[in-house]
Amino acid sequence: MMVPVRCFTCGNVVGEHWEEFNARADEGDEDPQEVLDELGVDRYCCRRMLVSHTDLVDVVSPYQ
Amino acid sequence: MSYKCSRCKRDVELDEYGGVRCPYCGHRVLLKERSRDVKEVGVN
Amino acid sequence: MATDYDVEFVEREDREARFLVRGVTPAFANGIRRAMVADVPTMAVDTVRFIENSSVMFDEQIALRLGLVPLTTPPEGEFVEDDTVTLSIDVQGPATAYSGDLVSSDDLVQPADENVPIIQLKDDQRLEAEADAIMNHGKNHAKHQGGVAVGYRHLQRVEVVGDLDEFEEQESQIVRGVVEDDGELVPTSEFDHDLANRYPGKEVRLEDVPEAFVFHVETDGSFTVDELVTRAADSIIDRATELEDAVQL
Repeated sequence: MMVPVRCFTCGNVVGEHWEEFNARADEGDEDPQEVLDELGVDRYCCRRMLVSHTDLVDVVSPYQ
Repeated sequence: MSYKCSRCKRDVELDEYGGVRCPYCGHRVLLKERSRDVKEVGVN
Repeated sequence: MATDYDVEFVEREDREARFLVRGVTPAFANGIRRAMVADVPTMAVDTVRFIENSSVMFDEQIALRLGLVPLTTPPEGEFVEDDTVTLSIDVQGPATAYSGDLVSSDDLVQPADENVPIIQLKDDQRLEAEADAIMNHGKNHAKHQGGVAVGYRHLQRVEVVGDLDEFEEQESQIVRGVVEDDGELVPTSEFDHDLANRYPGKEVRLEDVPEAFVFHVETDGSFTVDELVTRAADSIIDRATELEDAVQL
């Protein structure tokens, strides 16, 4: 639903990079790999947190 | 107990005679409102 | 009986550092690592009182997210274990509640990262809550771990043994961490972790340097790496003194 605050595996805080990553790589046309490198998300455990995430708040919010 | 009718969105008070039914529109699906208490949750 | 350890920094930033320690046993190196992960107390949210939560997530889910937000740790001695600080959050939608919206009752304890989204709120949704943060250890809950991905490797020494035959194809030789080359410390990322790039046409041998460890330490923002390492060392001293007192006749 919302981005995980931390990486499940190593505990690094990844949530703070989500909005920039989403704007630049998912909605923008930049290469996700380069964006992650620039954000300083180095380990593959943390990278998969952002790469594989989808925001679901908009999907569930009609069913209140 | 306060409920809310899922069709007409009006507040409904249930009593022991009326059964589960909205008195305004007759709809049988009621939603329970969140209580106004402060809820304490532990982070585990 | 204090021994001095030879410590040399390879990389040093606030939240990430790499340093070499000489003259320690593997057991002691691991002791420091474990102390950094489990024994250095940090602040984290432990109970949350929800006054209003009409968001799409349950109270428990939001409480968990608040718990994982790193909070700055007050200087040593200011707080003891289980002291609490109250942080409050009040956001009315349409908006996103961020960790930076937490208002703390104590200036020393603030969210370390301000841009962590807690919950996205739609029209008429609202989040109002009070969170109590406590000081505790990483061994009790992972949210109290100050050190992230803390580890160490043996320092390896590179030695050129000879030249390769003229038409022999060089095989890649992958190393990770930091190597010692003629007394100089070189992070392997400088030559893409492959010794064949650094010594083309040479035959090289690698060997562990005894009692030398290269630590890689990252923190979640609760404090700087310096702080984490010194506090970890202090916690080992404390426990050693406690043991000494306990076994004294």
